[in-house]
Amino acid sequence: MPQTLDKKDDFDVVKYFLKLLDDDKDLSSGIAAIKTLLMILEKKQFGTIHILQNTMLEAVAAMRNTDLSIAAVVSGGELFCRFITLSLDDRGMEECREIMLHRGKIFLAKLLNSRNVIAQQAQRFITDGCRVLTHSRSRVVLKALVTAAKANKQFHVFVTQGGPDNSGEQMIADLERAGIDCTLILDSATGYVMESVDFVMVGAEAVVESGGIINRIGSFTMGLCAQEMKKPFYVLAESFKFTRLYPLNQRDLPDEYKYSRKHLSDVSKVHPLVDYTPPAYITLLFTDLGILTPSAVSDELIKLYM
Amino acid sequence: MKETIPLPQIQQLIHDIKVGKVDGSFNITTKTLELFKQIITNAKWQHAEDLMQIIRSQGQILQSALPQETVTANVTRRLLKIIREEFDLLQVKDHHLADDSQASLSLHKLVTQTSECDVCVDYGIPRAGLKEALLDHLEEIETELETSCESICAQAEQHIHSTEVILTLGHTRSVEHFLKRAIKKRQSLTIIIAECAPACRGHNLAASLASNNVEIIVIPDSAIFAMMSRVNKVIIGTHSVLANGGLRAACGAYTVALAAKHYSVPVIVLAPMYKLAPVHLCSYEQDAFNSLGCAEGVLPYDSSAARCAKIYSPIFDYVPPELVTLFISNTGGHAPSYVYRLLTELYHPDDYEM
Repeated sequence: MPQTLDKKDDFDVVKYFLKLLDDDKDLSSGIAAIKTLLMILEKKQFGTIHILQNTMLEAVAAMRNTDLSIAAVVSGGELFCRFITLSLDDRGMEECREIMLHRGKIFLAKLLNSRNVIAQQAQRFITDGCRVLTHSRSRVVLKALVTAAKANKQFHVFVTQGGPDNSGEQMIADLERAGIDCTLILDSATGYVMESVDFVMVGAEAVVESGGIINRIGSFTMGLCAQEMKKPFYVLAESFKFTRLYPLNQRDLPDEYKYSRKHLSDVSKVHPLVDYTPPAYITLLFTDLGILTPSAVSDELIKLYM
Repeated sequence: MKETIPLPQIQQLIHDIKVGKVDGSFNITTKTLELFKQIITNAKWQHAEDLMQIIRSQGQILQSALPQETVTANVTRRLLKIIREEFDLLQVKDHHLADDSQASLSLHKLVTQTSECDVCVDYGIPRAGLKEALLDHLEEIETELETSCESICAQAEQHIHSTEVILTLGHTRSVEHFLKRAIKKRQSLTIIIAECAPACRGHNLAASLASNNVEIIVIPDSAIFAMMSRVNKVIIGTHSVLANGGLRAACGAYTVALAAKHYSVPVIVLAPMYKLAPVHLCSYEQDAFNSLGCAEGVLPYDSSAARCAKIYSPIFDYVPPELVTLFISNTGGHAPSYVYRLLTELYHPDDYEM
């Protein structure tokens, strides 16, 4: 495979990937991963499909090695590899590449629009005068709430602090900038405010095959509380976050999902960063494919990977 | 403009439904379908786009005039879907290529999409034979509608066995036929009917089911929980099935479902396909969700209490999907979690919002 090796130096996957995320703070790491992979496809020459696939896998592995949460990178990368497999034809390599690049652009455009689509779907559920509980910071939840506020709806949002990095505080700042009434609460106050809210709305880092979600630590607690108090638990997630993973409990989650890279060698004394919320606690999932019940997720994944 | 004016037949239908001349989901569905068939045959339209515009606008009028009757909107959505289907079929015939661009949005499609224009098929091209194809397809739907009750009844034997105790609520046409079939086929059933006050339509059901072969027990609604412990199965009808598998059913259905849950009694809901609606319950304050019926039955207007008390008689209950065990439709039994799948088969996602 000399064709890939000689060009390797002029394109640094990880650097490009991190730069994308750095340039646009609102970009999801999944989309950044897909963008990076598309860039590789454009920049490099591939002699065979096999080389192409290997390069992609290597690139995904390299991106996984960064210090970001890997869930979206994994699902985005997987989706892109599937995309390559499905757009293969029995035509020449160069022609295939052209087709892929063309389709890739459409694919990316759709993904970039997905947050708007989801925000639009959630509008009917955010009614005037309602009280919403959300966990920490989620860009798609923020988008949905801001869109609702722009439609002159009055509502109150409770945001948990979202330890360990307290990104809920940033969410509060963002909400306040949009003129939305909001309150920052402690992660441990979830149970306390639950009785006073109308519904819970959270984002997700990944949606797994069972229809459950992987999200920042504390989401499961919130799901449990919501179920107990009979409040709807809505999840907003783009479809590129659908992952082929079937965890049965928290222990089942791969360590790369739960811990940051520097702690992976010994995880016995560190806190996990994410938890798994089983589908039984989720009322509906708002995705760019429509409003889905948790059981519809596996259907979508089966259709894609069949 | 043409599309904003309701056609006279539509006006007539709205009137008939409002004064109660046409009632029951089945009759309303049949009437609506008939009407749209007339529109397809008689109205002036050049191509599918035209026709879809007419049907959509008339459907919107029906929906806004009768927000409670979800079936009219369902019929409209179903028709729009078959127009799309027939149009695509003709298109494929013309171009000799198979294209599944009409399949609903999915991850798979997201990945395999080749060009932007796949999303919006141009329905503006006139197609010969579209009308005939449509009318043929309509006939199929009509037959499906006519036989829907019978197809549901045919499954009675699978679900009801001899000496079982069945509980039902109020009076629904499909439940009546279903139980009649069961009574004919099975020995010594006991059927408990909650009367469903204040209309007490359960009394009519009791009268209609009465025969030597069966024991009928009518109970007040307050006794539902007390009776549930001895019940083997709950069989109820519904006004409509929502997109998440929840029910919008007669008031009292939630009581029944919760009591059944407490005693782990299976709840079977009879719901022909035309009752499946791609709507979500967004909040309880939704205007179209519930309505209040005549309160005279609760407390007579001339009673002294009526002077100082507020009286409400809500018509519907929302029953969450986790309380339903099984839906029986004309195509078989389905779990509530499967409803979303049926919906994608029945309607086109673009038509969910009309």
